[in-house]
Amino acid sequence: MTDNPPPEPDQQCWPGLWQHVAVYGSTWLVLGLAIMLAVQVSLLLGLVAAMAAGLTWLTVQRLLRQKAVADQAKCLVDEQLLQSQKLAALGQLSAGLAHEINNPLAIIRQEAEWLLFLCRQSDPLDMTEAANGLRQILQQVDRSREITTNLLNFARRQQPVVQAVNLNRLVADMVRLVAKEVEQRRITVVSQLAPELPVINSDGPLLRQVILNLLNNAIQAIGQDGTITVATEALAPDQLTVQIRDTGCGIPPEHLARIFDPFFTTKGQGQGTGLGLSICHGIIERLGGTITVTSEVGKGSTFTVKLPITLTPKEI
Amino acid sequence: METFRILIVDDEDDFREAIMKRLRARKMEVAGANSGPKALEMLAEQEFDVVVLDVKMPGMDGIETLRAIKQKKPLVEVIMLTGHASVESGIQGMQLGAFDYVMKPVALDDLMDKLRQAYERRMLQLEYGRKNL
Repeated sequence: MTDNPPPEPDQQCWPGLWQHVAVYGSTWLVLGLAIMLAVQVSLLLGLVAAMAAGLTWLTVQRLLRQKAVADQAKCLVDEQLLQSQKLAALGQLSAGLAHEINNPLAIIRQEAEWLLFLCRQSDPLDMTEAANGLRQILQQVDRSREITTNLLNFARRQQPVVQAVNLNRLVADMVRLVAKEVEQRRITVVSQLAPELPVINSDGPLLRQVILNLLNNAIQAIGQDGTITVATEALAPDQLTVQIRDTGCGIPPEHLARIFDPFFTTKGQGQGTGLGLSICHGIIERLGGTITVTSEVGKGSTFTVKLPITLTPKEI
Repeated sequence: METFRILIVDDEDDFREAIMKRLRARKMEVAGANSGPKALEMLAEQEFDVVVLDVKMPGMDGIETLRAIKQKKPLVEVIMLTGHASVESGIQGMQLGAFDYVMKPVALDDLMDKLRQAYERRMLQLEYGRKNL
């Protein structure tokens, strides 16, 4: 028998463990630490992510708010721009009107003063001279009246009268009305009228006014020698177009935007009131359509009128 | 076909009488005037639906007459009749409220067509006026 003490139960039971700990303890420690660290890091990362998300959300919210404010501001600016454009148009209108009326007024005044002078001076009164003066005054009064009539026509939003209109026939009629003028100026009119165009519900006399005005403009733009092409077409099932193209002088880009403004004219004094195209624009709008222009200086212009097949009269 | 009242204004007697005769044959009620002032006088005395008005007349011309008619009777429809194509008078006339321009010589069927359309327009406008009284 040996008196060797029995081995320590622990030592006996867990020798492997201690050994294991002794051998691998540091590894486990490192592993544990690593896990804790990882957990902490991931927690931290999660926190950071959450904070980032929160920040992002806040930022997005702020951006959205800012965008809303900006949109509002833009709307306001747009409105102001429109308003100022309207005011500018009104200013131009009044300036144009004043200019147009002041010219005949100046002539009338001249003539009246001259007549007064004649009355005081010559004895007996030179009747031929006096008659000439009075005739001139009458002419100028007529000229002014024409201007105010035009203006009233422009301002009056008369109700279109909706009737069946054969657009091809209407266009052909107006081409016939300018036939002599174009012949004298050696201008060729080419008609490209689409066959079997549907009858439209619109206002005939108003449309005639527009087509005639556009034809006249085309003639003026060409002057002598050139071609006017008049085309009709069914663009969509519910829409027709009339196009009037000329090979005339064209419209410079800086004028193009103002071409439909009232009193905008490039013609010389007394040659046009600058109301023609603005009247056309007003009419076509009332007829539920659009009128647009493209142009190239030196090559010519194209006016395109789009009309709905059916115009339902709006209640005033 | 519906009968309506037409006034033909033209200083050429032969033309006026011929067209009146032919319109009467189509059961229209037709009267004639040989000048602008005469036409205005007749319009003041009796009702007409459509006026056919010659552009070129001595004295008061067609455009002047049209202006006066539209001032006094805006709902009377006026068809301008012109011997030669004039862009300027065309624009003026349309702006003053003419219904249409017809070139002489005109086929009666074409004129009849335009007269009917002009009459229809007048009826539409009268009806619209009644509704909105």
